[in-house]
Amino acid sequence: MHKQGQFSISVVCIILGIMLAIQFRTTQDIRSSAQYERADDLMKRIMQVEKERTALEDQVHDLRQPPGDDAAAKDLERIKIGAGLVPLQGTGIIITIDNTKQALSPSNKNPNLSQIRDEDILKILNELRAAGAEAIAINNQRLIATSEVRTAGSFISINNKNFATPFEIKAIGDPVALENALKIRGGIIETIQFWGIQVVIKQSTVVELPAFKGTFRFQYAHPDQNGGK
Amino acid sequence: MFLPIIGLMIGLLIGKFLPISMPIEYAKYMSVALLASLDSVFGGLRAGSEGKFDNLVFMTGFFTNAFMAAGLVYIGERIGIDLYYVALLTFGLRVFQNLAIIRHYFLKR
Repeated sequence: MHKQGQFSISVVCIILGIMLAIQFRTTQDIRSSAQYERADDLMKRIMQVEKERTALEDQVHDLRQPPGDDAAAKDLERIKIGAGLVPLQGTGIIITIDNTKQALSPSNKNPNLSQIRDEDILKILNELRAAGAEAIAINNQRLIATSEVRTAGSFISINNKNFATPFEIKAIGDPVALENALKIRGGIIETIQFWGIQVVIKQSTVVELPAFKGTFRFQYAHPDQNGGK
Repeated sequence: MFLPIIGLMIGLLIGKFLPISMPIEYAKYMSVALLASLDSVFGGLRAGSEGKFDNLVFMTGFFTNAFMAAGLVYIGERIGIDLYYVALLTFGLRVFQNLAIIRHYFLKR
């Protein structure tokens, strides 16, 4: 009896040994597994990426410093103003437009008619530019050569950022000329006011425009080696 | 007394060279089953030393304990009761109890 007990216990011990060995291996696997080291690993990566980002920001800052050469620096400054990379201030006007606040009248059932659309803003911009506006920003988005103004769902996308009403258009230029151009009889302001859109135009001696905050990337355009001749 | 230890060694060696590895999700069940088996073996040793060893009881106890423990933990996980710790506690307590009894037996002999 005792002998037999020893034998079956030994057999079971073999199985137990196999299980133990597998468990050892599994435990080791867990220790070295991604799950276990994941948090640690991610933390390290975040730190590294943050460090890289700071370094790159410093680099950008250094590269943006104007070079020592005076004439070249002036040239660069003019080009940067033209490209919208410099915050500007000067005399100009501030136009605030908002959707109608009044309830829809029975004769005007289509709510889309009293919504501001990209076309309205584009017409205002066109009018401002024709009247000699030197720099324009909408909701503090500086408009540059590649800026778009386009309806995107219920928003209007400007510089690839979505904005809802109200819109504040700031333009630097001759305040009187700009305002007169907009308020001309039968002009754009009269038209949109007819549809119930609220327009407030304010002349100002100090209009401040932010710089364009995006980046320039030219994937398809390359400078022409022949100088375009 | 040496035969079980030799068996354990053989088992460890086989397990080491077997290309089996547990998925990590099942490590919990495996550990509970392992503890249940350990408890059974110590129970068997204790019964053997007390002279009331029953082969059938031992063999069935070994396998059912292991599978039932793993199964209960699995069910507990499904229904949101952490039976894992309960199983660990129960089998752990019994392992130490059995150890103490075996030790007493050897001391008295």
